[in-house]
Amino acid sequence: MDKIKATDQEIEKQVERWDLFARIAPTVFLLINVILVITKTIDFETAFWVGLALFAMTAVTWWFWTIFTIRRLIRLLNRASKNLGEVREEFREVSQEVDKLKNGQ
Amino acid sequence: MGNRSYIIIKAIANVISGLSMVTLITLGVMWMSFDNAFVFQDVKIEVVNNPVTREQDIEFMMIGTKKHECNSKTVYGVAYHRDGHTHRLDKFTKQYTRNTRPGEPIPNQWHMAIPDDMINGGEYRVSMTGEFVCNYFIFQAEKSQTYDNILLVVK
Repeated sequence: MDKIKATDQEIEKQVERWDLFARIAPTVFLLINVILVITKTIDFETAFWVGLALFAMTAVTWWFWTIFTIRRLIRLLNRASKNLGEVREEFREVSQEVDKLKNGQ
Repeated sequence: MGNRSYIIIKAIANVISGLSMVTLITLGVMWMSFDNAFVFQDVKIEVVNNPVTREQDIEFMMIGTKKHECNSKTVYGVAYHRDGHTHRLDKFTKQYTRNTRPGEPIPNQWHMAIPDDMINGGEYRVSMTGEFVCNYFIFQAEKSQTYDNILLVVK
């Protein structure tokens, strides 16, 4: 149960980090590029290719993170479902025992 | 920080981030469209006074449409003879109109002197090359365009 909770918290933290990244990265990238282009440190072509490369890297990272997270969530769900089944079975057994005791009295 | 302030800051951050993303995508698409566009579209160049004698100049005529504001930096031609030798044409005896307006077909013409070393007559295939500086919105790029296979007959 603790392991499930830890995984759950870990995934939530990662989602929060992605959320923060999505909020900050475009604005920061735009501002940095505007400054660099205005000061003629880089030209539009360089800014375009750097942007495209960062976009591609982000997309690939996000894609793999999504795949691994879905896999973890499915495993988590399966484990939780299995545990719930076991609890249900134990409840049934306890109920049967209680019925036996009642009938015995 | 109160819950209300946090929600407002988060909403503002979302709006700024969204606008930045829209700006980046728009600028990226505009840059790609500008960078990949040729200087002239629907372009045609011909020598209009074939066959040219040595006393005459080569008269070129051109019609084409420019998509963006482009100003020429260098314009030159290279004449290729059938037997392999080439001549550079860069002596303008009549200038072409520079910085023609974009968006509509504009006829243009120029005259070029026959090079001194072009002693052999016959058929030549001329390639005209133009180097331009183009502007569009906030972008500027250097472009080059070549028009090949213009028939030149020298007597």
